[in-house]
Amino acid sequence: MNSLQTAASGMMAQELNVEVISNNIANMRTTGFKRVRAEFQDLLYQDLRRVGTASSDEGTVVPTGIQIGYGVKTGATSRVMSQGSLAKTDKELDLAIRGDGFFEISLPSGQTAYTRDGSFELDADGRLVTLDGYEVQPGITIPNNARSITINRQGTVQVVTDTNATPQDVGQIQLTRFVNKSGLQAIGDNLFLETPSSGSPTQGTPSQDGLGDVLQKFLESANVNAVSELSDLIAAQRAYEMNARVISASDEMMSSTANILR
Amino acid sequence: MENALLIGLSRQMTLQRKMDVLANNMANVNTAGFKRDNLLFEEHLMPVARMSDATGSDARLSFVLDPSLYRSFEQGGFKQTGNELDLAISGDAWFVVQTPEGERYTRNGALRLDADGQLTSPSGFPVLGDGGPITFGPQETGIQIAKDGTISTSEGIRGRVRLVSFENKNEMTKEGAMLFATNEAPQEATDAKVLQGVIEKSNVQPVTELTRMIETVRAYTAVSQAIQQTDRLRQDAIERLSGSNRS
Repeated sequence: MNSLQTAASGMMAQELNVEVISNNIANMRTTGFKRVRAEFQDLLYQDLRRVGTASSDEGTVVPTGIQIGYGVKTGATSRVMSQGSLAKTDKELDLAIRGDGFFEISLPSGQTAYTRDGSFELDADGRLVTLDGYEVQPGITIPNNARSITINRQGTVQVVTDTNATPQDVGQIQLTRFVNKSGLQAIGDNLFLETPSSGSPTQGTPSQDGLGDVLQKFLESANVNAVSELSDLIAAQRAYEMNARVISASDEMMSSTANILR
Repeated sequence: MENALLIGLSRQMTLQRKMDVLANNMANVNTAGFKRDNLLFEEHLMPVARMSDATGSDARLSFVLDPSLYRSFEQGGFKQTGNELDLAISGDAWFVVQTPEGERYTRNGALRLDADGQLTSPSGFPVLGDGGPITFGPQETGIQIAKDGTISTSEGIRGRVRLVSFENKNEMTKEGAMLFATNEAPQEATDAKVLQGVIEKSNVQPVTELTRMIETVRAYTAVSQAIQQTDRLRQDAIERLSGSNRS
């Protein structure tokens, strides 16, 4: 009886589904988080009677065969890269992207990572860094006598200093986009790495080439929708239970066979 | 006497297969674009074997066969996802996927882009438009797909997602990974609509499957009991005729 293994594959798939959903719910309030969705596919099929084979010498063919499937597998856990809603924060160094771009971050290891989380800070040298202290690329240094920082939609950073009331340009924020941003690899800390399936990064000035606008004093909320996550959770849990029922029903059938001989 | 055992066995074997089919449906209750299967049974009249102690039509023995599978192609429910590359088909049509083995067809419209910007199926095979694979450039944004499958982006109209339909869908075989294959030549679908930001759910109805499952288990148990009774009858006969019965 394959039904035991088939139902077990269903239970494993739903277990993974619950893991994915719970991670989404846990990150409901994570800035720049993009929800993940488990996608399922049916497994292999065994042809017990192949459709279209000859059923007689007269050329008649089998109109519908018998194919028995072996359950389900997880095809992918794909990231839904839709825009999250923007929340106003009134903090000068909070940036949100409205569009497809990413901020480029250089990791201590020398690698380049990408993020949608624009809750930046300044380090001791006045450089723009992430909450973990990783530098935002290209490096922007704010003079230590700066009174206010203004970042416009095109990413130009201007400061007004104690000595000079006219705004001065101190840097330009660049954004990066990918052909297939769902193909980026998440490494935690709201960071993503380039992969062979994401395509190579194209960098540019915000507001151009679909990179999106940079909005100062805003943060991008997670794109998790609590209602749909919860309804998915219920569906996953019920599907799990129903597959468990299939296992106990198969067990009942097998035990009735085992009991023939007493 | 053995006939009863064999007939019972023929029923149990088909019931086990039915259970396998039901388990597969149930395992795919959350699989987007899945179409449920159901096994059909028929009576198989044995041409040669006959009961010698019955007369007329009762003398013929009938076994159970499961000659074919009925595949339900009815529409699954829709689930809103808001993802621009999630497409669902409303109506009788299929997406065309170019696999190394040739064209395959799917109802699972959770599409994605690959590293070159090509529109692909979840397994990474190109999804075909009217003029072959559809590729988006690195600068394109805002993919919009209209009801008739026309794709437009910031760069204008980029073609149309190809939708096909088939005369005889029951000839289609499942290949796993939500792909269907058939020998029939596809026709361009005319009356189907594409919905963007929506996924077609599995058309498995848990209630129906559970009911069928209970039916299957009960039928199986009943046959087991019949086999057991037959066995006891025979045992009795042997004991009595051999005189080993001490009473």
